[in-house]
Amino acid sequence: MKQAIQERFLISPFLVFFVIHATQVGVGALNFQRPLMKEAGQDAWMAVLMAGLAAHVLIWLMYRLLSHSPSGGDLVSLHEQYFGRWIGGVLSLGLLFYYALAAFMVLQSYIEIIKVWVFPLIGVWQFSLVFLLLTYYAVSGGFRVVVGLCVWGVVIPLLTIFPMVFFPLEYAQYRNLLPVFDHSFGQLAKASKEMVLQYLGFEMLLMYYPFLKNAPSSQKWAHAANAFTMFIYFVLILISVVFYNKEQIQHITWPTLTLAKIPEVPFIERMEYIVISIYVLVVVPIITLSVWAATRVVKQLFAVQQRRSLPVLLACLFVGTLFFQEKTDIEQLTQWTAKAGFYLVAVYVPLLYVYVWMAEKVKKALQQKP
Amino acid sequence: MRRGLAWVGALLLLGGCVSSRPIDEIQIIQQMGYDFENGRYTGTAVYPTFKQGPMTKPNMLTTTSPTIYDLIPRLSSKSALPIEEGQLRLILFGKEFARRGVTQITHSLARNNKVGSHLLLGVAEESAKELLKITAKTTLSDTLYLPNLVEQNEQSMNLPKTNLHLFLYRYFSPGSDPFLPYFEKKGDFVKLEGVALFRDDQYVGHVSLRDSFLMKILLGETKNGVYQLKVGNRGKQGEDRVMLQNLWAKPKYEWKRDGRRHVLDVFVHIHASVRDYPSWLDQPGGDLFADVKKKMQNELEHNMRRLFHYFQKKRIDPLGIGDFVRSVTRHWDSDAFYREYPDLDIRPHVTVDIVHTGIGE
Repeated sequence: MKQAIQERFLISPFLVFFVIHATQVGVGALNFQRPLMKEAGQDAWMAVLMAGLAAHVLIWLMYRLLSHSPSGGDLVSLHEQYFGRWIGGVLSLGLLFYYALAAFMVLQSYIEIIKVWVFPLIGVWQFSLVFLLLTYYAVSGGFRVVVGLCVWGVVIPLLTIFPMVFFPLEYAQYRNLLPVFDHSFGQLAKASKEMVLQYLGFEMLLMYYPFLKNAPSSQKWAHAANAFTMFIYFVLILISVVFYNKEQIQHITWPTLTLAKIPEVPFIERMEYIVISIYVLVVVPIITLSVWAATRVVKQLFAVQQRRSLPVLLACLFVGTLFFQEKTDIEQLTQWTAKAGFYLVAVYVPLLYVYVWMAEKVKKALQQKP
Repeated sequence: MRRGLAWVGALLLLGGCVSSRPIDEIQIIQQMGYDFENGRYTGTAVYPTFKQGPMTKPNMLTTTSPTIYDLIPRLSSKSALPIEEGQLRLILFGKEFARRGVTQITHSLARNNKVGSHLLLGVAEESAKELLKITAKTTLSDTLYLPNLVEQNEQSMNLPKTNLHLFLYRYFSPGSDPFLPYFEKKGDFVKLEGVALFRDDQYVGHVSLRDSFLMKILLGETKNGVYQLKVGNRGKQGEDRVMLQNLWAKPKYEWKRDGRRHVLDVFVHIHASVRDYPSWLDQPGGDLFADVKKKMQNELEHNMRRLFHYFQKKRIDPLGIGDFVRSVTRHWDSDAFYREYPDLDIRPHVTVDIVHTGIGE
């Protein structure tokens, strides 16, 4: 299990930028403003920055954990090394469920958006089938194909969707940003906890770390990706604060899509439909990478080939989408994913890091004694 | 092979998703009117019918119902083709309807993903139905007469900008009240009369198009608008007026405490061109304009004060003064502010710069 991965399967360090950024910005970017402005009003942008800085620290911690563990592999081999086959296996199983949940949540949320905005009468299963076929196609091509998808999932939306969010500045009320610091630190902390889901995505690193060529050198790209994510959310929240007021935004389900109603061009009256269509490119990389990570866990844990576990996992996701139809269920699902992700990256990984660090210390001390 | 199968499957499935609606098989509503008469709601829809070539003819559908939500389904029962509201450009409320509140309609519009944020709203002096009927009759091919009228006046004349987004923004904001364009029937014509004012979602009164120039400036819209001012007492009718065209104006609000009361200072700086002025002002060498400028400033200040008093008396805040005060107050309390609002001391200070007087002297 410890054998190194062949060089032809590895990716260059700078591609980590695209992978991390693509997985961070997802369906959450369409509606994160609402809970944030409910807690922190015009100071919501501070919560965005606070959460982003916290994500920086966690990425740094993750790199420390992965690069200093002697196994040099992913989290599953780390588990096995430090907790043994059984306890480590149970922990890895938890990771597997988390990745599957993440993929499922993104898929379900995006299907909901399509249903509400574009095709209200069409059933969920058609969409999920198409998406899962696409996922199958990408994941069976291997990690490098998934990364390629991530690159386009960053570049195309950045060139097409991102410029669109500046049009609403026509209606900007800059005084909405004042007074600054009108909220207590407690409120800001609570608001930044709402940002967890938006910054999540870098936890896939725990599985694809061994696939990085000269992995420790990719850390700066990971931080750059997180900084860029921060910048995107920062711009989005600033525009939302000046465009909406605090009460109004509570009545809008997807504030970012409603922002896209503002630009007008002669040949297309309503840009939000374009945004929703291009958003496929934002959503699919997240689903594929989560599914890839989940099947990778299966491979490392049970030595089952990814090609075999992939159809099983996709079938589970497909059946799952048939049972989640109502809006409240999907909201609940999102909450769970955010919570699970929060405990994984902000609680479990730091604890694991402390444990590994102590274990190494103890080992060294024992070796020196005799 | 497998890849090919996946593509074919995806194409087949996506092909099934298309729901196309050719333009001559639907009824595109472009304007909609809502009235309240004798305890029943009346809905009027204006839609174009396509004749040969680019000619369109506005047509109307009307129905009544005891409830509001029922109107579109009831219109459907009178229409041979399915009704589509995706191209809605203007919604007109009758005055009675607006008086009873427009929340139900605007909330339903805000939830409707088919309707754009640029949708215009307006209030008709009597019934919306009558007004729409006039526009359908007098305009031969232009089904968008009213929306174009509003847009033209917003861009080049005195009407402050309004649309669905701005209406909802001002409606939901705790520190401001919405307003809409106000139309009147003048014989066989429709005339834009000014701005209809709302308290929360209920129509409470309107101001003239002349006053809406002041509103436009006080709202911070920097360009356009014309204003006629009286600068002297001599001469015949019209001989003592000047016509001011706003080139660039900026309001600045200042909120301070004066003893136990709060004072709001409003500084307005207008860069204007004088379009028309009486001949006696044209004496070469004289510095009559300095005197006239003073008079203009006084009159503008006087009219602004009158406008503020009107808003305060009606307990409405279309200018978003509450919003401004919120932005300079920590932990702003909207209830406390609006309790004080009717007695607030608002002091306008106007400076007029006459940039030019046209190409003649």
